[in-house]
Amino acid sequence: MTTATEDPLESFYFRHEEQIICGQAVSPITDGFDVKYPSVVDRFFTRYYYFKGDVPYQVLYHSNRICLVCLAAGHPALAQGVASVSFDVGNVDRSQNVVKGKAKKGGMILQAESTLALISTEKGETFKVPSCIRGKLVEVNTALVEEPKLLEQLPEGAAYFAILLPKIENCDSIKASLLTQEQYEQRLEAKKVELNT
Amino acid sequence: MKNQDLVDYLRSCGVCEVCQLRYLKARGSEYKDIKETLRRLDIKVNENEENVGDIVFPEEQPTKKARLSTCSTCLGLFSEEFQRELLQGILTSDFAKYDCQKIVLAISLPMVLQLRQLAMWFALQKRFGASVDGTNPPDVPIKEAVKLILHPIICEKLAKEYDANGLMINIDVTHSLEAGEVEKLVGLNREAFPAKAAHQKRIEISRGLLEKQYQPAKVKAEIFEKYYQIPCAGVEEPLKLVSIDLQGPLVCVAGRYRKLSRELSHTPWILNGQRLMEDSIEEIIIRNVGPHFAEKLEKINFMSSGREDVDVRCLGKGRPFVLEIPNAIRSSLTTEQAYKMEQAVDGSGKVSILNLQVVPREELTHIKTGEEQKKKFYRALCALKEPVTVEILQKLQIPESFDIQQKTPIRVLHRRPLHTRPRTIYSVKAKVQRGNPQALVIDIVTQAGTYIKELVHGEFGRTTPSFASIIGQAIDIQALDVVGIDLDWPPEVDNSPSVE
Repeated sequence: MTTATEDPLESFYFRHEEQIICGQAVSPITDGFDVKYPSVVDRFFTRYYYFKGDVPYQVLYHSNRICLVCLAAGHPALAQGVASVSFDVGNVDRSQNVVKGKAKKGGMILQAESTLALISTEKGETFKVPSCIRGKLVEVNTALVEEPKLLEQLPEGAAYFAILLPKIENCDSIKASLLTQEQYEQRLEAKKVELNT
Repeated sequence: MKNQDLVDYLRSCGVCEVCQLRYLKARGSEYKDIKETLRRLDIKVNENEENVGDIVFPEEQPTKKARLSTCSTCLGLFSEEFQRELLQGILTSDFAKYDCQKIVLAISLPMVLQLRQLAMWFALQKRFGASVDGTNPPDVPIKEAVKLILHPIICEKLAKEYDANGLMINIDVTHSLEAGEVEKLVGLNREAFPAKAAHQKRIEISRGLLEKQYQPAKVKAEIFEKYYQIPCAGVEEPLKLVSIDLQGPLVCVAGRYRKLSRELSHTPWILNGQRLMEDSIEEIIIRNVGPHFAEKLEKINFMSSGREDVDVRCLGKGRPFVLEIPNAIRSSLTTEQAYKMEQAVDGSGKVSILNLQVVPREELTHIKTGEEQKKKFYRALCALKEPVTVEILQKLQIPESFDIQQKTPIRVLHRRPLHTRPRTIYSVKAKVQRGNPQALVIDIVTQAGTYIKELVHGEFGRTTPSFASIIGQAIDIQALDVVGIDLDWPPEVDNSPSVE
């Protein structure tokens, strides 16, 4: 027996087929592999933060201005354990949002302070998740209602509450109203110092 | 009404022989030898009379004298002088620039011809009574006669074939009486068709209106006569050629393209008036293929069977594309010429084209219809966070088809509606790079319209199932190649010179 046959992956190895295009050999697709390839969030989004009181939320701002509203990693609900998620915020059920066409007609218009969802923790605390930005509600992640634990388990971005589309003309003021990654970290640092003194 | 009586009357009104035949309702080839046709219809041919409208060219009858008067019904449209003038006009236009075997004539005639036809219609009714119908014209309409008489002659003289998709020769013809006669028509129209209500819009005088509304059954002879003479008076002056414009045919050139670069957009990519990439597939192909067919490259329309993202290569047999070239100066392409173009595009080092050929316009439907049914073949370079296991690889060997639900990707959501679309994945086959167990190469066959990048990483759960959900861990995509598009069009042609 040779060592090659002992390799359980042997039958799965990729073999590049030669092809000449434009008079040059086409390079194997594996040539471009990058161990340090940035994640989907790093590739297309900018991280912004919004504080409601002392509670942090994350806004993933896509290069095409689409925004994903998420919990920031330091959100107290994550430490307490999420018990339930609801988009029925009292006067209106956000999960009933319907948009039509390119212009997303019919989407609820939200202000930064508008409550987007409610979460309750295993310790019995309730948080009103704010919309964080002014914009039109495009999509609500109803999977969180069925499985609130996803908020704790899913990788960055996947546990988004909603997708919002701000107006082009508001984008600059929206970005200015949010904290950048750097500002966010500074604020957390400042708070730590404050607690220690 | 005897034919002889009709012809005698027409002759007395100064009607040319061609138009006499028109009023005898002659068809197609009967206009070729006028005297013969007249004879066959038992019409006495008056040899002494001037050969009004005789369709013979001067080089064939050099001694023939110029005609004296103009036909009162066609205003010389069917005269040999007019044909000569027309031919001369075409030859002195840009005609020689066009390398087309097929032509089509589009003649815009003055309304005075229609008015004169109507006057003659009234005159015939007066003269021959009820035997002349009030709804169906007594003659072969001039428009039709132009097709029967002028088209074959011009084609023959230019040694071209007649074809509706050929080089269009737009001929604008007028007459010195036109303006005055149309002016009078405004008055006649008001009297013959009074507006039913005050608010009714004023009817626009047009050729179509004349054709539809102006016939003895709808307009009284007495009213018509207030404005125009019945029968129409003879005229000295013939029709005048205003302009000749040429419009080349729409030529469609098809082929398949392959794309080597991961930094080349499909079409010019312009954002806020700024170019993001200096070149595009569309521009490279048009730059190398266009000049053979057209002078103005801006009007050429580039279409393809789908498109790939900027950073995606298109390999294998390539993607079918078509150039729609309006006002083409040339409609043919030899294999030698096609090969040169293919070589020139290859020179870009970014795009390559194959199977370049001129195709009939009707075949363009292949590229646009059934878009959703087409299968697309992809190869994706994917990355895991941990080295791959046999178990993961086995989960990504899926020979049978399955359906996914895919929401409009966030990257296009700002400009496209939000939908959840079902898409069929026909097969998945994953391999691993030797020596790099985090790198997977996955061959995927999908229904057209599937977003592959989102199929791989699942886009925050917005595409389900995804490769990420199937293997239960994060997987990302780093590179994508299109390796096949299942559309057997255009036909394969090998333009390269045959090797001995």
